[in-house]
Amino acid sequence: MTSLEDLRRINARCIHCRACQYAYSGEPDRQGETEEYTGMLQGCPAGIYYGWEGYYNSGKQWIARAWLNGEIEPSQELLKVVEACTTCGMCETQCPNYINTVEVTEALRAAVIEAGVEPLPRHKIIGDRVHDEELRNPYNEPRNQRTAWYDGEVDRKDAKVAYFVGCTGSYRQQDIAKHTASILKKLGIDFTVMTQEVCCGSPILRTGQRDKFREVMEENLELFKDFDLLVFSCAGCYKTFRNDYPRFSGKPLPFKVRHTVELVYDLIKEGKLEIKKEYPKKVTWHDPCHSIRHVGLAIEKEILAQSDNWLIDSRKAEKAKEEHFEIPRVVLRAIPGLDLHEMYRIKGDSFCCGAGGGVKTQFPDMALAAAKERLREAASTGAEVLMTSCPFCVTNFTDGVKALREEQEATGEKKPGADLEVVELLQVLDELIE
Amino acid sequence: MTRYNHVTDDVVKKLVSICGEQYVTTSEPLRHSYMARGIMGLEAVLPEVIVRPADVEEVSQILVIANEHLIPVTPAAGGLSGGFALPAIEPGGIYMDMTRMNRLTVDTENRVMIVEPGVKSGDAWRIFKVKYPEWAPPIPDGAPPAATILGDAIERGFSLVTGVYGPQADMIMGLEVVLPTGDIFRTGSWALDGAKPFYRWGLGPNPDGLFLGSQGSMGIITKAAIKIVPHPHHKTVVAYGGQNWDDIIKPAWEISKHELGVAENTVMVQGGNWPLVMTRWPKSNVPTDYEFYKKLGISEYWMNYEIWAWSDEELEYVKKKIDETYKWYEEEAGTKCPQWKLHPKQVASRLKKPNKIAIPYSLWQAGFLFITWYTPWLESPAMMEEYCAKMEEYGFPPTMWVASIDHARQAIVMPILCFDSTEPGIYDKIREFNTETTRSFLKKGWLNYRPDPFVHAPETFSRAPNFYRMLVKFRKVLDPNLILHPGRLAIPWEAVTDMPSPLQGDGE
Repeated sequence: MTSLEDLRRINARCIHCRACQYAYSGEPDRQGETEEYTGMLQGCPAGIYYGWEGYYNSGKQWIARAWLNGEIEPSQELLKVVEACTTCGMCETQCPNYINTVEVTEALRAAVIEAGVEPLPRHKIIGDRVHDEELRNPYNEPRNQRTAWYDGEVDRKDAKVAYFVGCTGSYRQQDIAKHTASILKKLGIDFTVMTQEVCCGSPILRTGQRDKFREVMEENLELFKDFDLLVFSCAGCYKTFRNDYPRFSGKPLPFKVRHTVELVYDLIKEGKLEIKKEYPKKVTWHDPCHSIRHVGLAIEKEILAQSDNWLIDSRKAEKAKEEHFEIPRVVLRAIPGLDLHEMYRIKGDSFCCGAGGGVKTQFPDMALAAAKERLREAASTGAEVLMTSCPFCVTNFTDGVKALREEQEATGEKKPGADLEVVELLQVLDELIE
Repeated sequence: MTRYNHVTDDVVKKLVSICGEQYVTTSEPLRHSYMARGIMGLEAVLPEVIVRPADVEEVSQILVIANEHLIPVTPAAGGLSGGFALPAIEPGGIYMDMTRMNRLTVDTENRVMIVEPGVKSGDAWRIFKVKYPEWAPPIPDGAPPAATILGDAIERGFSLVTGVYGPQADMIMGLEVVLPTGDIFRTGSWALDGAKPFYRWGLGPNPDGLFLGSQGSMGIITKAAIKIVPHPHHKTVVAYGGQNWDDIIKPAWEISKHELGVAENTVMVQGGNWPLVMTRWPKSNVPTDYEFYKKLGISEYWMNYEIWAWSDEELEYVKKKIDETYKWYEEEAGTKCPQWKLHPKQVASRLKKPNKIAIPYSLWQAGFLFITWYTPWLESPAMMEEYCAKMEEYGFPPTMWVASIDHARQAIVMPILCFDSTEPGIYDKIREFNTETTRSFLKKGWLNYRPDPFVHAPETFSRAPNFYRMLVKFRKVLDPNLILHPGRLAIPWEAVTDMPSPLQGDGE
C-alpha cells in the first residue's frame, strides 16, 4: 500500500482521540526519575513547536481525510503544514487502532506533489540532486567520488556481503563509514562497497518525491541483487531498504539486510563476540527513529499481517517489537565500564532528535528546537555522553549542543545539555572491538 | 431561522488584535485538522477561523466581536465529542481552541481543584501522581488521556468514581462562565469576591445546570472548581459473569443499594457482553464465534467491580461481601454467575487511569460511534436486550457497555456502533437506526445522555415541549443573537431538523 487512496480505510480508523500526541499515552502511571519526566508527556516535535492541531499527527490524519474526500485543494500552504513533521513515528507507537500514521503522512505529501504542487524549495533541491545522474546524492557531490573514502577493493564480484554506505557516510561523515568498514573487517566479514551505489532515496521519499525515489530504488535493487547480505551504518538507509523498498517494489528484497549494530548484537548473542576493552563513561542512549522505532513497528505489523487472530497474536507481535528495541541495549551492556543511564522517553516512546522527514533541510529552527528538548532530557540522566547510531541524529544533536553552548555564553546561564558529548556508537565499537 | 455572517478579513484583524497573530489562523489545512466525525457525533462543518485565546478576558473579547458581526462560535478543547466539538451550522464561523488555557491548581485542604478547559486527564493524573499522591482527580474513565477534565465535567460525564459520586457534573463546586455577550461571572460561593469555591449553591439560585450539558451553547465555561477524591492505594478489580443481562445488573444493585460500607468501596461498577472484547479487533482478523471467547474464560455477560480500600484487610472484606452477594443471587435466581479469574495483568490494565480502552473499536471496520442512554438501573437489562437485537437487525455487532451511576441509581447504557465509515450510505443507516431506537426508548421514559442534535434532541424535545420552551427562553436571554454552537440542544431548531418545532404556536 503506497498511495493515500490505498490507505483510505486505515486513515478512516482515526477517531481523533489525540492519544498520538503523547509519549506513554498508554502508561499514565509510568514512574520517572524526576518530577518533569513521569507519566505521559508530549511527544510530537512538530506539535510542540507549532502548537496548532494540524502539526500533530492527530490533525494530519484529518487533513488526509479531507484530501481523500476532495474537501481540500492542493497548495503550497497545505504542503508546508504536512511537510513540517519528522515522520519519527512516535504517534504510530501510540495508536491503539494500528494506524500507519507515517505512511499516511508520506502518502499525503506525495499526493499533494503529484497533484502539481512544487516540492518545498529545499526539498526540491535535494530531489533534483538525487535525480541528477552525475550526482545521485543530496549533497551536490560528484558521483565518481562516492567511494573516495575507502581504501579497500571496491566492486568485488566475489563478495557475498556489501556495505551500503549511504550519502552521508560517503560524503559527510566519512569517519563513520571508515569505522563501519573497520568493524566489518574485525568481525571477519568479507564485504565490498560499490562505486555505483546511489542515494537510497529516503529523503526524497519522505518529502513526497516518489518518482525520483523509484528511480534510485530500482538502481540500487539492480546493483545489489546478487548479494546475500547488505550491511548499513545509516539508520535512514537501513529503514528505507528494509521497510520501504519491498512496499514500493512490490517484491521481497532479494538479499538480507542488517544494521551494523544489529550484526554486533547477533554475534554477542551467539557468544561469538566479547568486548574486552573498557569504555568507562556515563552514557545515555538515544534510539534513532529509523532503525529502532520504525523497524520495531514494521516487525509488529509484519506479524499481524500474517495473523488471522489479532487478539492472540498482538501480544506476540508486541513482544517481537520490544525485542528489537532491546538490540542496542544488549550491545551497550556488553561494553565493560559503560554506565548506561536511560532517558525517560525511550524505545517506541523515544523523543525524536528533530532531523528526520526532511525537517532539518526545510525547517531548521524546528529541528534545532527538538534537538535541544532531547538534549535537556539526556542531561537529566546525569550522563556525560549522548550515544546514538544515526548520522542525522549525530548531526542534529551536535548542532543542538553548539546552540546551547552559544546560549550559555550569551546569557551566562547554565543550559542543561550543553556539556554533553555526542557520540556515534559505531565509532566506539570500532575503538573497542579488537 | 438565524442567518449568520461569514468571517471577514476585518473580523480576523480584530481577532488578531485580541490574541496576537500567532494564535489566529485561517489556514485551510489547519482548519481541516480540527475536524472529527465519529465517537459521539457525525455532523461537522469546517470552521472559517481558528483562534486560541490565552485567558478569560480574551474569550470575552472574542465573543463581543462575534456578537457584533453575528458570527457563530464553537468552543472546544479536547475535541473528543466527535462532530459536536465542531461547528454544526453553516457557515462555520469561529472555532475557539481552548487548549492554551491549561492551568490547574489544587487545594487539598478544601478538597477541590480548579481546572481550565485545556487540562487533559493524562496531565492531571501525572501532576497528582507526583504532587498529591493521596488524592485523585476525578478524570473520565475509559476516555483517552487527551480528554479534558472540564469537557467531561460539563458534559456531565463518567469519571473513575461515578459509581459512588454520581455523574461528573455532581462534582462541580463552582464555575467561571463567559456569557455569549462577553459578561464574565462565577457561580457558587466563588461568586463572592475572594471566596473559595467551597459551597456549590452559593449566593442564591445556582445557574450551573444551565451550562452543564449545554456544551457551551449557553456560555463558555473557562474554569471549573471540581471536587478531588481521596486516593487509597489498595485496589483491585473483581469480575463476575452471567447468563443474561439480569445476571449482571441485579447482583450489582444488591451490592450498591445500601450506599454505605461495601458500596462505597466499589468506586466503579461496569460491565458488558462478549462482543465488547471481539470488536476491539479487525473483523477479518479475529474469531467471531463465542466459543473462542468462552475458551478464553470470557463470560457472555459480565460485571467488573473496581474496589478501592485503605488496607488489604478492607479489600479482602469487600471482595468477600461481593462474593457472598453473588452466591445468594445465584441461589435466589437459579442461575450461574461464575467469578472471572482475572490475570494480574488484566487487573492492572483495568486499574490503569486514564486508559485507551475505548479507542480500538475503529479496528473492527473503520469507525465507531458511542450512543449513550440513561435508564433506572433495574430497567437497563430491557434496554440492552432491545438495543442488541436492533443492532443485529441493522447489521451492527451487538457491542454493549453498561455502568453504574451513584450506587446503581441509574445505568449508563452505551452501545458501541462499529461500522465502516467508508461504506456509502452508512451515515443514513445510522441515522435510521438512531431514530428507530430513540422513538422506542423515549416512549419507555429512558433518556439519551449527550443527545445527537439531529435525532435524539428533536425526538426528545418533541415529547417535552414545555421543557424545550423553557430552554429556548433561557438561551435567548443569555445569547440573544444565538451565536454559540447549538450543542446538542437543537437550538435553533430549524438549523438541525425538519420536524415540527415544539415552539409552534409560540410565535416561532
